[in-house]
Amino acid sequence: MPLPCIGVPKELWPNERRCAATPDSVQRLKKLGYASVLIERGAGAAAGFSDDSFTQVGASIVDTNTLYKDAAVLLKVRAPDLTEVKRMRAGQLVVSFMYPAQNPELLDALSTQGVTALAMDCVPRITRAQKMDALSSMANVAGYRAIIEAANVFGRLFSGQITAAGKISPAKVLVIGAGVAGLSAAGTAKGMGAIVRAFDTRPAAREQVQSMGAEFLEVTGVHEDGTGTGGYAKEMSQAFIDAEMALFRAQAKDVDIIITTALIPGKPAPKLVLADMVDSMRPGSVIVDLAAEQGGNCAYTKAGEVVTTSNGVSVVGYTDLPSRMAAQTSQLYGTNLCHLLDDMSANKAGDRNFRVDFDDEVVRAATVTKDHAITWPPPKKAAAAPPAPTAAAITSAATVTAITVKHAAAPTKAKAHASHAPSGLPNTAALVIAGVVLLGMGVWAPPAFLAHLIVFMLACFVGYQVVWSVSPALHTPLMSVTNAISGIILVGGLLHASDGLSRLPASTVLGALAILLATINIAGGFLVTQRMLKMFRRGES
Amino acid sequence: MNALVSSGVVTVFYIFAAALFVLALAGLSNQTTARKGNTLGVVGMVLAVLATVAGLSGEGALVATSSMVAGGVIGALLAARVAMTNMPQLVAVLHSFVGLAAVLVGFASHVAPAGLRGAEAHIHAVELFVGVFVGAITFTGSIVAYGKLQGVLRSKPLLLPGRHALNLVLAVACTGLGISYVISGHDGGTTALIALLLMTALAGFVGWHLVMAIGGADMPVVVSMLNSYSGWAAAAAGFMLGNDLLIVTGALVGSSGAILSYIMCRAMNRSFLSVILGGFGADEGKAPAPSTHLAGPQKDPVAISVEDVAALLRASANIIIVPGYGMAVAQAQHPTRAITDLLRKHGAQVRFAIHPVAGRLPGHMNVLLAEANVPYDIVLEMDEINDDFPTTDTVLVLGANDIVNPSALEDPTSPIAGMPVLHAWNAKNVVVFKRGKGAGYAGIENPLFVKDVTKMCYGDAKSSIDSILRALEHLYPESGKKSGVV
Repeated sequence: MPLPCIGVPKELWPNERRCAATPDSVQRLKKLGYASVLIERGAGAAAGFSDDSFTQVGASIVDTNTLYKDAAVLLKVRAPDLTEVKRMRAGQLVVSFMYPAQNPELLDALSTQGVTALAMDCVPRITRAQKMDALSSMANVAGYRAIIEAANVFGRLFSGQITAAGKISPAKVLVIGAGVAGLSAAGTAKGMGAIVRAFDTRPAAREQVQSMGAEFLEVTGVHEDGTGTGGYAKEMSQAFIDAEMALFRAQAKDVDIIITTALIPGKPAPKLVLADMVDSMRPGSVIVDLAAEQGGNCAYTKAGEVVTTSNGVSVVGYTDLPSRMAAQTSQLYGTNLCHLLDDMSANKAGDRNFRVDFDDEVVRAATVTKDHAITWPPPKKAAAAPPAPTAAAITSAATVTAITVKHAAAPTKAKAHASHAPSGLPNTAALVIAGVVLLGMGVWAPPAFLAHLIVFMLACFVGYQVVWSVSPALHTPLMSVTNAISGIILVGGLLHASDGLSRLPASTVLGALAILLATINIAGGFLVTQRMLKMFRRGES
Repeated sequence: MNALVSSGVVTVFYIFAAALFVLALAGLSNQTTARKGNTLGVVGMVLAVLATVAGLSGEGALVATSSMVAGGVIGALLAARVAMTNMPQLVAVLHSFVGLAAVLVGFASHVAPAGLRGAEAHIHAVELFVGVFVGAITFTGSIVAYGKLQGVLRSKPLLLPGRHALNLVLAVACTGLGISYVISGHDGGTTALIALLLMTALAGFVGWHLVMAIGGADMPVVVSMLNSYSGWAAAAAGFMLGNDLLIVTGALVGSSGAILSYIMCRAMNRSFLSVILGGFGADEGKAPAPSTHLAGPQKDPVAISVEDVAALLRASANIIIVPGYGMAVAQAQHPTRAITDLLRKHGAQVRFAIHPVAGRLPGHMNVLLAEANVPYDIVLEMDEINDDFPTTDTVLVLGANDIVNPSALEDPTSPIAGMPVLHAWNAKNVVVFKRGKGAGYAGIENPLFVKDVTKMCYGDAKSSIDSILRALEHLYPESGKKSGVV
């Protein structure tokens, strides 16, 4: 079955410069087998991609009506507005950012129209889906652009210099919220020579912040782990918030630039930089609020505008930061889309076959409407895999530890330990059978044998318990030690060797041979273990 | 009997020895106490032997002592001479000695009249028979394992037609012989001896055949399984001689080996039975799914030069090394340690990721790295490090293949589907050191090699690592300089 025709309409949202495809991503789609790609006339113009550049890679430039008529899959950046939805037809599929929680009427419109819609913002943040994680792609660029915007408004250099014309002190940047955007901002500011500090409620962010070359700030006196789900933070206790405010208040007096990126999913952005803090900042200072669209982290923020306070602090509330770097973000978003379409058309048998497969965790989570039904929110899955922001998406070569790595490791460990003692209690049937067998033995076997059996059983349990605690690194020494110990068969040989050559020559000779072999084993086993263990050493650190 | 000490005193010594053996195993639970554990084991063994010898009559003690001195010397020489890379072979061959010793003890018991009647005599006969059976399997099985590890025998599984049926027939035959042996009683002269000998031969064949059918990649399981058998053989000998120390020790060793086998099997996501019944890797002819849906169209692996690897390492802040059996074969652990030291000195974080079945013995890689003086606190288990790959700049895969094969997760038709593997492909760069372009031990294609992040460094692992070391030393002319990590 040929793959469906792809259509990329021009974005209608005011000031939206991004485009859901670039010549590069069109080429990728073609390689994946999507033979027919339609681009609306002028769709890429604002992002710097001319119609010609699309035709050169084999896409067709069409007008709006043809596009909606012929394309089976529509790729967009912004959620379709109601006029766009009207143009769509039943059975058509649209992929874009949707924010279904904030846009219930959009879901209604899409489902009434019979359009299947996939929300890029609903792609789960699991390892496999990292390459489709458009939110991270956008956040990464937004963080970079936030610094550029700040630098644009800020009247001084970022890097400290001693020049013939005097000393320039370096700019001090505070980043609040060390998610993908925050880390990207921290790395960018650092790269420009500023002194960078970052704050996050999740302890795991410390390493990531430090890896970007920034200083990690902590509140004093309150210990609380703010790790929430999906790579976001959760809301904190009042005591923590108070301590946090005290920290910000002190920092506001000291820093020149504050970048805020704090978001809590499904809630308005927390107010973190209060009016009095802004008022205490030096004139000329800049605040860039990346949470402006969700109400802003700063008291002065006005979405989409730059506000200058009475004491000369500029509060930048642009909500279109990714769109301001449309060439880059279109490229990243286009590639995210390619990966999604690749997944949706992948087929084990080799030939590609496009489908909306609800067994695919990623597709299921992203699909918000299908065949006249609203399929959002997806059914809850048991403990979804912990999120990891796309480390690869961070522009700097420095490393960023995936946000919940440490926390993810903990449950796995616990699980491993739980399974270490697999069902300490065997099932009832086995116990009953064992009981019957033992009863039979008790009737028939001599008491001496039963005494030995007790010893044997207990030793098995002891061995079982002891060996589980052996560290895997020592499994080889464990084996050579147990091997040496099993040379205890020597005792058997000894007992027979004592039968005496004259009295029972055969048994004595066999016993002596057994002794020889067993001693080789004992000496060899213990010595080689000793040799191995000597080599294990701890690092100097 | 003019023994030096009474049997009560001997028993007390046995109790001490048994307790010391338990403590010896407990000591191995971590590196800091491991050496003490080994010493306790030695002390326990010395106590046991001294007590037994002291309990013997004069003439027996002489024969015993001379055998022991000879055996001790041979064992010490073996242990001192063996190269750490040959550890699996040594362990296997030592297992075969225990097996053979158990068989010999069984036969010695058979020829020495025990003077038992009725049920006691029957039980004794059963114990003896079982002891010899397990001992014989351990013996031939370990010899085959040795041969495979040493490379004398082909590591490919030998699959006789109808091997499961054959095993069943042999088991039934051995049971039949056992019944006839028990009924005729071990004082029953030739009939009993013939039954015992015949069974020994059959059991020997079973051991040979069982291990022959298991592929080289499953050797960690086989070796620990044989370790377990050698324990059970000792325990059976204990029952036969009415010696509690043998029973306790045998049971300890037996359960230890069984647990190790279980751990190894779980690490490969396979049932114990399927490993033991063998034939793994035999279905390599079956084509795995045409690449994975994530890898896209089939690509050729991209090669990289040693100079480029050195430059890559220099620019990396976070490095993970995944060693495999190939590192052991090439003896590359020493230059690897030198590179590790150099990179660590210049500020990079270098760690080792050990898959539970890397190498041919449980814990094989740990021993080799320890031999090369790699500190054990940077050597991590799969579960500890697997989540760190996405934040790792460079992964060096040193002579490992199946344990980093993404098809275990991505391709349900793969023979290793579901086996936990190291997620090396999540790193930003992966360099695979490989001798040639063939498939891994299990004969499975590895899509890792054609991933975008992967580069292949072909050639002998040791000479490649040596060249990288030289190139790195060139890149870090003066050690005083801070690292060039970006």
